Amino acid sequence: MAMAINVGYFIKESFVSFRRNWVMSLGAVITIYLSLLLVGASVGTSMLVNQVVRSVEEKVTIRIFIADGAAAEDVQALQDALSADERVKSIRYVSKEEALSEFKESMAESPEIVEQLEVNPLPASLDLELNNPSDVQAVVDDIKANETFLKICDRPDDPEKSLKYGQQVVNQLFTFTRILRVVMAVFIVMLGVISLIFINNAIRLAIYARRKEIGIMRLVGASNWFIRTPFLMEGVIQSLIGAVLAIGSLAIVQLYALPKISEAMPFLPLSLSGGSSVQIALILVVGGIIIGLIGSGLALRRYLKV
Amino acid sequence: MISMRNVSKKYVAGKPPALADVNVEIEQGEFVFLVGHSGSGKSTFIKLLQREILPSTGQIIVAGQDVNKLKHWKVPYLRRNIGCVFQDFKLLPNKTSYENVAFALEVIGRSKHVIRTQVPEVLRLVGLEDKMNSYPDELSGGEQQRVSIARAFVNRPPILLADEPTGNLDPATSLGIMSLFSRINKTGTTVLVATHDREMVDSMRRRVIALEGGRIIRDQSRGVYGYGD
Repeated sequence: MAMAINVGYFIKESFVSFRRNWVMSLGAVITIYLSLLLVGASVGTSMLVNQVVRSVEEKVTIRIFIADGAAAEDVQALQDALSADERVKSIRYVSKEEALSEFKESMAESPEIVEQLEVNPLPASLDLELNNPSDVQAVVDDIKANETFLKICDRPDDPEKSLKYGQQVVNQLFTFTRILRVVMAVFIVMLGVISLIFINNAIRLAIYARRKEIGIMRLVGASNWFIRTPFLMEGVIQSLIGAVLAIGSLAIVQLYALPKISEAMPFLPLSLSGGSSVQIALILVVGGIIIGLIGSGLALRRYLKV
Repeated sequence: MISMRNVSKKYVAGKPPALADVNVEIEQGEFVFLVGHSGSGKSTFIKLLQREILPSTGQIIVAGQDVNKLKHWKVPYLRRNIGCVFQDFKLLPNKTSYENVAFALEVIGRSKHVIRTQVPEVLRLVGLEDKMNSYPDELSGGEQQRVSIARAFVNRPPILLADEPTGNLDPATSLGIMSLFSRINKTGTTVLVATHDREMVDSMRRRVIALEGGRIIRDQSRGVYGYGD
């Protein structure tokens, strides 16, 4: 019974105080909103980038270019050898003609380039798809050591150039996400510090505005936690409002902006599952509560001697 | 109820102490005046009892508790045993008399039921049953001091401390306040009044403890303010 009364009292006091210094409170809410927005955006972005990387990885193929004069049985031997490899999911022979027609398709917008070709410059190839993208480098190394490959490859002088595989692309993507994460982390830390300063100031003003009440509370023997709780709650309420605004903004981006971007770039899997969205929302709410508690806690330690 | 043994308080090293070797015993139900000039150590005496400050040396026992050994978080519970009244009333201007008194119960977690029964009762005791819904600026100085006494007493503490309670009031009003303290004292509450008010002290004929330069120079059971001072 007594607890129920207290909770009502604390909530009332927090909101009264919020109304009293709404400028500082608004400043605190906005900075928390911005920092949590960045946290959410960066978590969401890295989730998306991971999806993109995964989808790119799945498409990783190894293409072996074959010299024009290669003997058919050598090609068949290499193909058989690679088919026997457990790591290889599938293997497909692409002839010179097929390569040219694929090239024509991809150049459909400027057919004159293709028409100017007098001979077919494209080599035949073997296209490999792997069960596990992380095996790419190992399989490539094995192929390079294969004698049949060295005999029939398009560029015997430099066998490396007769192999094309997407590992570089994947590595570049990983590097990009690493840099992105570091930059985001720096921004988040900076905004986090600014949020703490703003909450600290808002709570300091709230304490100042209520110094008479606090004096009387101490006089009549209100317990320390009873005096502190409304201020802690005020900090948490400010943070939660910031978190809700950030979640709302991110939801709008996900519902309206992401589908548009996806339309423009259908090859990228740019949508987050409901589970991921809930995860981000939870991170923001918990992060907001932590910022609010730390910010107001620091202010109480410095400005409220009980 | 209040016991000080060999209590000294030094604020700044090298300067004379604010209180020096004070020994006082105040029994439950006593009415005591604490008199002395400004700087005689009255405020230090009161702050030590409230545990606003700790003594440099010596032992203080208030309401059965040794304040030196009291844990920090338990200090509020000590203060619930001590009602305090001040010269400047310390009322909240945006709350009515009723709300000011109720606030003291609210913040120590008393239930609404307790508040609704005890607040009107104590306001009746101080003679303000007609002014329960008045704000402090609608009340005279004497009435405001009655509200602050009601607030100090609403929780029925065993000890009532008053620091210059009539310092801002005219003699007639002061008399009323003092008789209110007497009434509260008759309920068994220990009352300690620090004051400059010579006439008041002389007319009440109660125990008087006189401080000068941080030392007790006189402790009379039915005393007067003093001749020399």
